[in-house]
Amino acid sequence: MAGGSAISGLVGARVHRKEDRTILTGTGRYIDDVQERGMLHCHFLRSTVAHGRITSIDVSAAREVEGVVRVFTGADMSAITEDLSFAQPIPGLNSPSYPAIARDVVRFVGEPVALVVAESRYIAEDAAALIEIEYDLLEPVMSTAAGLAEGATQLFDDVPGNVVHTDEQLFGDIEAAFAQADHVVTQSLDQHRWACNPMETRGGVATYETGSGQLTYEASTQTTHTLRFLLAGWIRHPIHQFRVTANNIGGGFGLKFSAYREDVAVCAAAKAIGGTVKWVEDRNEHLVAAGAAREEQLTLEAAVKADGTLLGLRVTMKLDAGAYPINPPATVYAGLVRTTLPGPYKLPAYQFRHHIVATNKASYISLRGPWAVETLVRERLMDKIAHTCGISPVEVRNRNLITLDDQPTKMITNVTLENVTAAETFQKLVEMVDLDAVRREQEAARAEGRLLGFGVGTFIEPAPGTQEFWAAVGFPFGSEPCRIRIEIDGKVTAFTPQTPHGQSHETTLSQLIADELGVGFDDIRIVYGDTDATPFSMLGTGGSRAATMASGAVVYGSRELRKRLLEIASHILEASVDDLDIADGVVSVKGAPGASVPIAQIAMGCWLAPEQMPPGTNTEMEFVANYDGEGGGFSQASHACWIEVDQQTGKIEIKRFLVVEDCGKMINPAVVEGQVIGGIAMGVGGMLLEHSAYADDGQYLAATFMDYLMPSAPELPEIEIEHLEFESDKVVGSRGVGEGGTVLAPAALLNAIDDALAQVGRERVTETPVTPTRMLELLGVIEKE
Amino acid sequence: MKTREITVTVNGRKRTVTVEVRRTLADFLREDLGLTATHLGCEHGVCGACTVVVDGHTERSCTQLAVQADGREITTVEGLAGPDGELHPVQQALRDNHSFQCGFCTPGFVMSIYGMCEEKKAGRSVPCSRAAIREELSGNICRCTGYQSIVDGAEAALAGAGSDTGKDA
Repeated sequence: MAGGSAISGLVGARVHRKEDRTILTGTGRYIDDVQERGMLHCHFLRSTVAHGRITSIDVSAAREVEGVVRVFTGADMSAITEDLSFAQPIPGLNSPSYPAIARDVVRFVGEPVALVVAESRYIAEDAAALIEIEYDLLEPVMSTAAGLAEGATQLFDDVPGNVVHTDEQLFGDIEAAFAQADHVVTQSLDQHRWACNPMETRGGVATYETGSGQLTYEASTQTTHTLRFLLAGWIRHPIHQFRVTANNIGGGFGLKFSAYREDVAVCAAAKAIGGTVKWVEDRNEHLVAAGAAREEQLTLEAAVKADGTLLGLRVTMKLDAGAYPINPPATVYAGLVRTTLPGPYKLPAYQFRHHIVATNKASYISLRGPWAVETLVRERLMDKIAHTCGISPVEVRNRNLITLDDQPTKMITNVTLENVTAAETFQKLVEMVDLDAVRREQEAARAEGRLLGFGVGTFIEPAPGTQEFWAAVGFPFGSEPCRIRIEIDGKVTAFTPQTPHGQSHETTLSQLIADELGVGFDDIRIVYGDTDATPFSMLGTGGSRAATMASGAVVYGSRELRKRLLEIASHILEASVDDLDIADGVVSVKGAPGASVPIAQIAMGCWLAPEQMPPGTNTEMEFVANYDGEGGGFSQASHACWIEVDQQTGKIEIKRFLVVEDCGKMINPAVVEGQVIGGIAMGVGGMLLEHSAYADDGQYLAATFMDYLMPSAPELPEIEIEHLEFESDKVVGSRGVGEGGTVLAPAALLNAIDDALAQVGRERVTETPVTPTRMLELLGVIEKE
Repeated sequence: MKTREITVTVNGRKRTVTVEVRRTLADFLREDLGLTATHLGCEHGVCGACTVVVDGHTERSCTQLAVQADGREITTVEGLAGPDGELHPVQQALRDNHSFQCGFCTPGFVMSIYGMCEEKKAGRSVPCSRAAIREELSGNICRCTGYQSIVDGAEAALAGAGSDTGKDA
């Protein structure tokens, strides 16, 4: 079927989204919209200290409040649940298990210490305020350096030295690389914590039916099946009696990939009480307790030739894991950074060391491209190499990039690159930018006392990546199933394990099915978010897999059903299968439109009287396809960013932002552009505004949206996008774009900031976020705190 | 539990209801009236997801109490589409421009943009440049889109709303 992708009609068009009528009229069902008969509400009391031993907890006053149904302490909850464990057979991984509600020790501000279930959220919060709890304070560990220090307080008995995992991997002859180097270029970056902050927080509604023993958990999750199998064990509930569902989901960005201790407690509480319990965290809880991402410190040492050619790279990374592990294990993040860091560049030798360190903070979580720091540090290093060697940022990349002509080739991390067009996107970007004009404009601006900066970057995105890539990372690649059914009236229902939360899968998968099967776009329904109905996948929606994997599953599934329809129709119409076509739900003989049979007629026969259908034909109108990804692949893009720095206020304004991206065949360009622009916005917010900050004593400092600054419309530029659509010989030539914007934009932006700083003789950025205050420090206008 | 009787007109329907005095307007709309289109994104007046129109002005429903709405007229997203489900021109403009993704912030943006369009229709000066629309929408936070598609939709909605008298430079 190579090269046989049926690209006609809807695929490739800016088709209106199926999802929009629901969301624009407010008729969706987000988790807080769920209202069940007799539903109870709950509220978690959370630790006010970063590290301490619980010496006493008194919930008696809370239990007395009218309307309170049950109060669970850590001990109460532990009596009915197993501790959460994300341990996996990974050598050297220290993954402590922990209770749903803290039993003895609290390890971050915001850790659940009690759960109040009541008739209303108001009452639950009132009652929680009456709980008295005392702690013996322990020294909090608030940085990787503090955690690794000699004699540091240990967070867990089974995490010696607070080291969750450490490893060193060598690729090629690193000593020889440095021995041959004309220059050794070094760079460090201390990235701050920032967070997913979907507009809908975490939450779930658990219903236990005492008669049947069935438990249903409707959740705001990115992965219903994984949530189900993880929770079933922890709440000691037989999995065949457990259903997890999801309806509208108000964003996830990686956060909602894991199962959380609150999910465990809510399900266990519903089961213990015998009814429905709703939990929806408020924004304050979300900011404090849901976890945050990106807190990594990296140092890089590059061996380069005088002409800027890379010879070798030594990297060390410290990752601040927070206190409690979640899914996936932290080794996956380290593996992703290590494997992806060489990017689309020729690199003969490479050494990567990491330390993952436990600290007294909320969990380190996935955030839209959780490996992103690799692109950030690599692209900034390329600029520093350019500066050291006296060549332009364009030239240094051109001298090191792997072009299509070089492929197939292997990354130094043993990942085959094939059909990777990062170099081609960069070439196109450079054609669209007059670098000399940029420099002249900067000079003219400086003469007027204004300061402009310009930065570029390029990268590859494992969207979905390849088998080899994920093997190197240490995470399963997994095939993707889809069950497709032609209904009795000829309309189509497709059941996907994806749990879309803004990625428009109802639209894009319907476009593909419509083109493949020849049925109307409006005659297709995509079912997701129900473990009773959808085929199993561990992954749900995440990792930018859907464009390739979910698409492949519906394409292969549609083709199988199309084959069955055509075989049956060829008997009915007495024509060869090759002479048949399907359009608008009707099979007809090419060139003889009068000779036709509606899909509805075939389907009705197959469902109601299969024995009367033509002998030897397959009358099953339902098929589960499994798509293996055809080896997978990468997306790629290059970004350019123009900024102006206000030297009085330190404010950074993005004047222009240009993207050249290649995600292969676009199913719906409007969806692609939405992902790219939204991703860039998140990357910009992360670099300039957002900070999940802690004080030295472990108190959390960004617990409202007045402190945690989300980018709003005026802070963001109009983003220009140029698409390249590399045509591969795969059946499914579409690649994901969910994360790329967030991965690459920080690199182009920080390169632009460094460029501005260099013009006034100042040092490069080594710590993020680059807030106005930090910018004034970097400019030397104010002293560093 | 202290309660009070209030009379409000919501989406054209007059209702007299007894509410707890501490109940927020947002919770009253969502839980007591079952109008769950109005979403709560932060519950402290920053994100704008809970924006509704009260007596012709866009307001946050999370930072006011239901009892403050006594005697007032409220429009929520549920009140915009036509009786046969036909999208309001503002909703249609946003749909045409692929404005949203996950949809959680959407009702707040729809109401803010609806409010701007109503102002314009009433002949008041409403800035219509893209930069001005971005300023006007700075009270609504979206995590998915980067706002560009929402500005596209708002621009189209405003262009279709009444006269051009309010256009700025």
